[in-house]
Formats: sequence, structure tokens, C-alpha cells
Amino acid sequence: MPGNPAVEVDCVTKAFGNRNAVCGVSLNVARGEILGLAGPNGAGKSTLLHMLLGLITPDDGTIRIFGRRFPGDRQAILAKANIASPYASLPPRLTVQENLLVYALIYAVPRPRAKIASLLELMGMSAQRDTVVSRLSSGQQVRVNLCKALLNDPELLVLDEPTAYLDPAIAERVREAVIGRRQAGAAVIYASHNIAELESMCGRVAVMGRGRIAAIGTPQDVTRHILGQQHGAARLTEAVAAFARGNG
Amino acid sequence: MLRRIGAVMLRHFYETRRNLDRLTDAIYWPAIDVVMWVFLTGYLRQGNRLHPGVTNVLLGGLILWGVFRSFQRDLAVGFLTEIWSRNVINLFGSPLTVTEYMVGLAAGNFVKAFIGLICAMLIARIGWSGGFLDRLPSLLPFALILVLFALALGVAVTGLIFRYTTRVQTFAYGLAGLLMPVSCVFYPLAALPAWLQPAALALPTTHVFEGMRQALAGGGVSGRSLSWGFGLAVCYFVVAVAWFKAVYNSARRRGHLVRLD
Repeated sequence: MPGNPAVEVDCVTKAFGNRNAVCGVSLNVARGEILGLAGPNGAGKSTLLHMLLGLITPDDGTIRIFGRRFPGDRQAILAKANIASPYASLPPRLTVQENLLVYALIYAVPRPRAKIASLLELMGMSAQRDTVVSRLSSGQQVRVNLCKALLNDPELLVLDEPTAYLDPAIAERVREAVIGRRQAGAAVIYASHNIAELESMCGRVAVMGRGRIAAIGTPQDVTRHILGQQHGAARLTEAVAAFARGNG
Repeated sequence: MLRRIGAVMLRHFYETRRNLDRLTDAIYWPAIDVVMWVFLTGYLRQGNRLHPGVTNVLLGGLILWGVFRSFQRDLAVGFLTEIWSRNVINLFGSPLTVTEYMVGLAAGNFVKAFIGLICAMLIARIGWSGGFLDRLPSLLPFALILVLFALALGVAVTGLIFRYTTRVQTFAYGLAGLLMPVSCVFYPLAALPAWLQPAALALPTTHVFEGMRQALAGGGVSGRSLSWGFGLAVCYFVVAVAWFKAVYNSARRRGHLVRLD
């Protein structure tokens, strides 16, 4: 695993009422690493991601980001992190530029207009700069959210289904941008149902089911762990599908 | 910190600029209220149907209540807007603290309420020639107490939304109205039944409007009304902030922060 851990999760547990959303999860993510997160709906992926940003408080266990902990170091952590999530949108009555300017102020982005222009160019959204968000298509809204997530050049980038709704060409641009952040030394946690995408981008993948990590390691290790003797030439996609059938 | 507070103000400035509902809430309805009451009180003064002092009190009560109602409502609705636009995760997954958010929201609404107050006063000045307007500056301390109490209620309602999600969003619009009958806005405390008077006296609004009536009648600014109004507003504000902190932390434990809608 390259570099020092940016994210250290140790035996984290979270229950909502009598439903265990996350049970005793432990994992590390190094700087300069993309960790893929896979698993069926309701596996606890989003809850785990939200706990990493202090949006949900764990019942038990510890989370350290850059060696710091919530809630005491919340601002120091979140100044260097960012998120794009399907549970989050940007205010629909503001234009793309206005939304990004507000977040540039929040994240203290230097030369915000130039940064926004370069991100919009990257995501192919320059022509929509002065369009209100409510008039954008779903895919365009996802791209604006991704611009927001990249605004502060985060050292921890949390992405939940970042390429959902995107056409293949734009999805490829997003993957390139994420790989760019990894090469710049950022830790990236990338949750997706597109397992081929995880396999191609991530050095390691964690597969979650019923709040637990069922397997973690390289895509080959995870495939072998889940399929066991039947592994053969199977890919991670088949392994995760087989796991989901048994744990959905 | 100031930069992040400024970001929240900027976000709501952009929202208000494009949102006709917000503009009408801030300016249109207060202006319509004052126009209506200027005509009504003008009519009532003709032929001595009503003493000029009473019409002053009615108009003063209307303007001050408008400040209170719009400030309380806009604070809570401002936060609801974040939920409706699914912006909560982006906001609270950033270095912005909930305190900075609330301060930014309150500061933006203060500016908006002030603009609404100026508009209402201008309309009253155009349509009203009574001595009422000369005494308006003496009402400023009362307006500030109302703003502090409205802030306390806005914080409390936002706390309710954190705790019970948008199921209780009706309080954002209706809480001020609930308090109006016992706040003695247009009539003296003595007009209330005796059993209701202690409840009225527990509200800063009652002391504000009692003090306002005395000031508009030429009796000077009542130190007693100011002290009671301010003291009670501070108490409510402290309780509201403590409640808000508790429910915000509870929302993070319960996972409500990411599922407020």
C-alpha cells in the first residue's frame, strides 16, 4: 500500500434503531490510493462514507482522517476533503457559477473564478456556466456536483456513484480526473455499482454486505476470496454479482 | 469564519434574487399590509370614529409584527430551502460549521427584514401624516428585541426540523401566528382574560408591544418594558441555542442529517 494512511477506520459500528447499518468495519486508505467500495443496496456503503465526513456519528470504533478525529478536528479534516454523493444536489435556483463560487468561498479556494473555469472545462460544462441548476439534465447536475467535489483539490475525495447518469465519454473524463487526484497524492474512496470501473481504476476494492466488509484487497484477491475454488478466469463483476445474490 | 459566513449570505442572496416567493415575503406582503392599514386607519380617523392615538398604535403594531414574523419565518424557511434542494450533505460535509451557517442565515435575513421595514415605513410615511412617524426611532430598541426573539424561535424551529425532519416544516410558517393572539400586538394586556395574562407576560413580544403603545402615546420609552422584553428574549435565545446544539448532535447520531427530507 503506497504512502501513509490518510483514512484509518477501526472497528466502526453504526445501528439505526435495531438495524445494524455498519458492523465492526476496519479499513485503511493510503495517500495516492483509490479504494473501491462495492456491494448491494443497503450494504452500508453510504453510511460508512457519511461517517468518514462526520455527517453521521459512529456508535463505536474510531475514524482517523489524516491522523485527526471528529468532532474536535472537524474543520481541519473537512477543509482537505470533499464529497460527491447521489444524496446531495446543489441549490436549483442558483447558476452553476454561483453555486461553485459559494463553495469556493467555503473551501477558501484561491483564484476561484479561474479554478471554476478550469473545472467546468474539464467536465465539458463551460457552456452551462450561467445556467441555473434546475435547467440542467441529471447528467449535467452530476458533473456540477463533481466540479464542487474537486474545487478544493481535496486530499480525501469521497465519491458515491460518481458516474451514474453520465454518458461514456464524460464518465471517462471523470475517471481521468479521479486518477489525476490520485496521482497528486490524494486518497480516493470510490463507491460504485459499476464493478468494471472499480476493477480498472482501483488498486484495492472492499466488498460490503449487511454492514460488514466481506472481502478487501486487489480485485483478483477479492474475486478469489468470494468465488473460492470456482474462481477460474472470473472477473470481479461476476464475484460481486455472486456475492450480491447471497447478501442482497 | 467570516468568509464562510459570507458564503452563506451570498448563497441566500442569490436565492432571494431569483425566488419570487422570497421577494414577495420580504417586501410585497409587508407593503400590502401597510397600504391596507393606512387606508383603514385613515377611514377610522374620519369623523372621529377612532382616536388618532389608537390608529398610531395599530400601524406601529403592524409594522413591528411584520418584522418579527418575517424574520422568524425566513430563518426557518432558509434552512428548509437547503433540505428541499438536497444541499445539506454538501454544506455540512464541508468546513462550514452549523453555527457559521446559522449566523450567515440570520445576518442575511436581518438585512432582508431591515429592507422590508424601510419599505413599510416609506409607505406609511407617504400615506400617513400623523405624528406616528416622528416617534418611530423610539421603537428601534423594541424592533431589536423582536429580532432577537424571532432569532430564538427560528433557531428552535430549525432544531425541530433537525429532530423531526420536514414533517414539522409547518412550524416555520405558523409559529409566529400561534403567538400573535397572546402577544397583545393590537390591544393592551388588560384586554386578555386574566387566566391568559401570565402566559402573555412570559413572552417578550407582549412587553415590546406594551412598551410600543406607551412610546407612541407620548409616554416615553419604558425602561421596564425594554428590560423585561430584552431579558426574556435573551433567555429564550439561550434555551433555543442549547436545544439546537443538542438536536443537531442527535441528528448526526441518528443519521437524520443525511436524510432530512
